[in-house]
Amino acid sequence: MFNYILRRLGFGLVTVFGVSVVVFVVMRILPGDPLIAIFGPEGFTKLSEAERAGYMKDLGLSDPMLVQYFHWMRDIVTGSFGHSFFRSESVAEMIARRGPLTAEIGIIAVALSWIVGIPVAIISALRPNSMSDTFARIISILFLAVPGFWVGMLIVLGLLFWFGYRAPLASASLWADPATNLQIVIGPAIVLGLGQAAYIARMARSSLLEVIREDYVRTARAKGVSGRLVIAFHALPNAILPVITLSGILLGFVLAGSIPVERAFGTPGLGYAMFTAVSERDVFVMQNLVFLYAVVFVLLNIMVDVIIAWLDPRIRYS
Amino acid sequence: MSVSQTTGDLGPVETAPGRGAFPVRAGRVLLTFGRRSPLSAFWGCIALLILAMAVAAPAIAPYEPLKSDFRRMQKPPNERNWFGTDQIGRDTLSRVIYGSRSSLTVAIAAVLLGTTSGAVWGLMSGYLGGRFDLVSQRILEFLQSFPDLILAMAIAMALGAGTGTVIVAIAITRIPFGGRVIRSVVLSLREMQYVEAARGLGASSKRMMFRHILPQCVAPYLILATTHLGVAIIIEASLGFLGVGIPAPTPTWGNMLADSLNAGLIPPWWLVLFPGAAITVTVLAFNLLGDGIRDALDPRLRGAV
Repeated sequence: MFNYILRRLGFGLVTVFGVSVVVFVVMRILPGDPLIAIFGPEGFTKLSEAERAGYMKDLGLSDPMLVQYFHWMRDIVTGSFGHSFFRSESVAEMIARRGPLTAEIGIIAVALSWIVGIPVAIISALRPNSMSDTFARIISILFLAVPGFWVGMLIVLGLLFWFGYRAPLASASLWADPATNLQIVIGPAIVLGLGQAAYIARMARSSLLEVIREDYVRTARAKGVSGRLVIAFHALPNAILPVITLSGILLGFVLAGSIPVERAFGTPGLGYAMFTAVSERDVFVMQNLVFLYAVVFVLLNIMVDVIIAWLDPRIRYS
Repeated sequence: MSVSQTTGDLGPVETAPGRGAFPVRAGRVLLTFGRRSPLSAFWGCIALLILAMAVAAPAIAPYEPLKSDFRRMQKPPNERNWFGTDQIGRDTLSRVIYGSRSSLTVAIAAVLLGTTSGAVWGLMSGYLGGRFDLVSQRILEFLQSFPDLILAMAIAMALGAGTGTVIVAIAITRIPFGGRVIRSVVLSLREMQYVEAARGLGASSKRMMFRHILPQCVAPYLILATTHLGVAIIIEASLGFLGVGIPAPTPTWGNMLADSLNAGLIPPWWLVLFPGAAITVTVLAFNLLGDGIRDALDPRLRGAV
């Protein structure tokens, strides 16, 4: 087991390196002048050639690409992540302040997707093609098609329209002010969680239907174990493995999906910071946030792999 | 039984059902599809209608999508503007109709570009194997380490706003999926006996790939492409909503939703409801059509693609 974890972490390190190269290529080498982003197209044309060169030097953008890459890596290792073009706050401070909110949203969303998705899948799989199964499938197909941020906008609009309620816009930490914090987090978490629950329900249903056909489940039935117990203790543990793997992939959807959803709710989380960075064309912030999101995604997937290996010895020993 | 008799027996087969002119055959296939999965056929028709709406937008739209009428600003739905007007008096219905143009153009172009190049890559790396496969797998893994919206955002931002950049940004996020799926199909095909037989007969690498392996990849590719259409539409709308999509005056569903947030403290409900509903219906249509095509072409792929 220990060896397996080490091996996965080794592969993860290679992936993180590859990811950093991709981010660097996308943000720095693709055409597009960062000075245009800072000063705007008009301000840019007013700068003299010498001024442009000076700014580029100050920002460390006139160094060779390889040197720039090493500087960036050094910034990451020392934990400073560089500065925004437009704000005094360093990217590291921003992550520390806004990150917890988005993490909370992600955790609640995943928990919610399991709490809703698995029971729905069990109901569906117990009587395939019954009324309740068809209903559950129609709902999940609908949820797969609805953009989360639109649902978020509708919820915000509905609450304002009928109840005059709006979630607090100022940030609040879970420990200092749990009530405010919960009001901020709950909306995005529900939207993202229900969106994922549709995927979970779909996957768990087909996986359950496959497992139910296996011999050992029939044996349990023949011994006289009741239908519900067979599902809960015989079928579900085996059917859950692909659902855990899917959950890891879905976490990526939550990370990405939280950007437009946080914008729709006006949540002061990391997703909103990403939106701000993109609309201000803030290259440094964007570069670090994209890298952070990708690293978190890679780590979460390693975690999922380890959990799967822990649950299923066949993978551990192969 | 002589050889001539055998060919004589084959004669009637030429006119048997299933053969005939192409339109007749295609019609028959569609009819069977409709009978076997009526729900998918229905949503397929909706998808076609949306496509027709996009093509014929100038003829259908009651007003110019960019013309603002300052006498009728931010009006709720009424008999003149069925979907109401926005804060500078542009007709929402016309803008929703025109929005289907950018949405579908981007989605179709991104899928044609991204899913296809991914599929070709997967075909080559699955068939050639060896070092090429190893390197390709790593590169695809790096690309797949980004949640797709985030990668699309970064690329769209780096390249600057425009329809072309949005297409490229979404296409790049589609490559790893196409590559992965087609590669796994090719790997299983390679072990098939008919492929081995062809190799035994001395077929060249190119002939094997294009004559024997490629035709078997068409079904998974079609299924993948229809599913990706839905995903691409949602990513395009999200990019528009986040302000890195197709730039402002062009009506897209994402832009309209982003605009509605600027229309005052409480955004008017009609500016939020209709563009989002358009996205949902379109994505639903392509998803269900994709499910139907999957069930019709290859039920084994259920859940895999």
